[in-house]
Amino acid sequence: MSELLQILSPNFLLRDALVASVLVGAVCPLVGVYFVLRRMIFLGVALPQVSAAGIASSFFAYQLLHGPHQEMQGNEHVLAMAGSFAFTLVATLVLALLERRGRETVEARIGTLYACAAAATILFLAKDPHGDAQMVNLLKGDILATTEASLRWMLAVFSVIVLVLFACRKELLLVSFDRDLAVVFGKRAGLWDVVLYLMIGGVISLGVMTAGPMATFGFLVVPAVTVRMLAGRMVTFMVGSSALGGATAFAGFYCAYRFDLPLGPAEVALSSVLLLAVWLFVTGRRMLVNWLSP
Amino acid sequence: MSLTLIELQDVSLGYGGVPVLTQVGLTIHRGEFMALVGPNGAGKTTLLRGILGLVPVLAGRIAYNFDRSTSPPGYVPQRDTLDPIFPLSAFEVVLMGTYAKLPPLRFAGRRQRQLASQCLEEVGLAALARRQFWELSGGQKQRVLIARALAAEPDVLFLDEPTAGVDHEAEATIIQLIGRLNRERMLTAILVSHHLGHIESMVHSVVWVDDGRASKRSIEAVRAEEGLAGLFRSRERGA
Repeated sequence: MSELLQILSPNFLLRDALVASVLVGAVCPLVGVYFVLRRMIFLGVALPQVSAAGIASSFFAYQLLHGPHQEMQGNEHVLAMAGSFAFTLVATLVLALLERRGRETVEARIGTLYACAAAATILFLAKDPHGDAQMVNLLKGDILATTEASLRWMLAVFSVIVLVLFACRKELLLVSFDRDLAVVFGKRAGLWDVVLYLMIGGVISLGVMTAGPMATFGFLVVPAVTVRMLAGRMVTFMVGSSALGGATAFAGFYCAYRFDLPLGPAEVALSSVLLLAVWLFVTGRRMLVNWLSP
Repeated sequence: MSLTLIELQDVSLGYGGVPVLTQVGLTIHRGEFMALVGPNGAGKTTLLRGILGLVPVLAGRIAYNFDRSTSPPGYVPQRDTLDPIFPLSAFEVVLMGTYAKLPPLRFAGRRQRQLASQCLEEVGLAALARRQFWELSGGQKQRVLIARALAAEPDVLFLDEPTAGVDHEAEATIIQLIGRLNRERMLTAILVSHHLGHIESMVHSVVWVDDGRASKRSIEAVRAEEGLAGLFRSRERGA
């Protein structure tokens, strides 16, 4: 209980990290619902990996231009963020373009992207031993290193993303649910795909830089899959997923602080326990209804 | 106002540059109830989707005598093309039809919600507005999709096998509904169907689609074609 009071105190030492964690937890599911609805959950694994490849490439470029790394200070951080954004955005745009052609299956494209990104990450780091250690920190989720400045930047970007998702929800739903109808109505389906992918790219880049690929993937997919089992309407699905993600991030932070656990895995484990509990509840309820019905 | 709503002139339609239908010449008049009939895989859906702009025109020309941007057509797709993973109520599905005339970044307001309610009432499903779309029966889902098409306030309604996979009673209800909309609203309706069946007494014209061609025929001629196609199918099964 005292740890909870400490966490809630305005003077809490890790306040910025807590806020960043809850922000990632609440915003990732807002784009994650589209992964679930478009049946592209594996994209949630591939894009964080692409983002990691972007960071590794920026470390590699830094080493080429300036020599060995310092301790992820100032311009290095900006460079890593730029690499993450650039790679994720290019990958999402290429995916959007390929979706319009639709020759191969979506799974094949995403699988190929994942394999290439994983290979690129290792190859970039193989030529940059100094970046290797920093990359390991990032992959674990370097959220405790969140500063007030990076939190402010994150809040601004996430606010824009949430606003765009809210403002375009009508078009994004129509294009996702019935693309043909969108085309018949004269809507530019490809353009709305690009808008969605840009939002996804932005959320993942910031998520990976803040919380690491594993926590980002966890928050993209698990809350949305959990709430989908309960939600009957789109608004409930979206708001519920975001609320569950934010609450799980907070509870995960508390568990990590209370029991001295790594933050990202604690958050993902807690999300998974909730997913299992909801699945058991829904399945049990269905079985009971079937058993009671004549 | 011209009586001709849509005109296809020597149109070829296909996928990946390979034509499925060639040299199709058709005229669709305002207020017409037209059925596209033919055997499985003959290209009926390709023709419908081609007229809607969902399949590329490889040759020829389709002329629309209405402004598609201000008055887009209503479209009822095959039910199984929609994914049940979307958590949507019947009302939410119908509301999507109103997006046809809503510009980007504008939300569905009171007018659109009223329109969606009216359309659900029109198809006799006002009482099921809050029910999950996927919990409805096949026939009810189809009527919700017709309501969604009506919510676009179209001049012309395209329906892709609206009675596929529903029981006889639901089939009759759906066909009567389309017939009533055609008569009372003077709504042009183009419908894809495997067979004439229930629609025979309702439609004004029939297009027989087979062997890469499509042409208007009399109902008697189509009935004869259906009989021949059925005979060939049963012989192939026997062989």
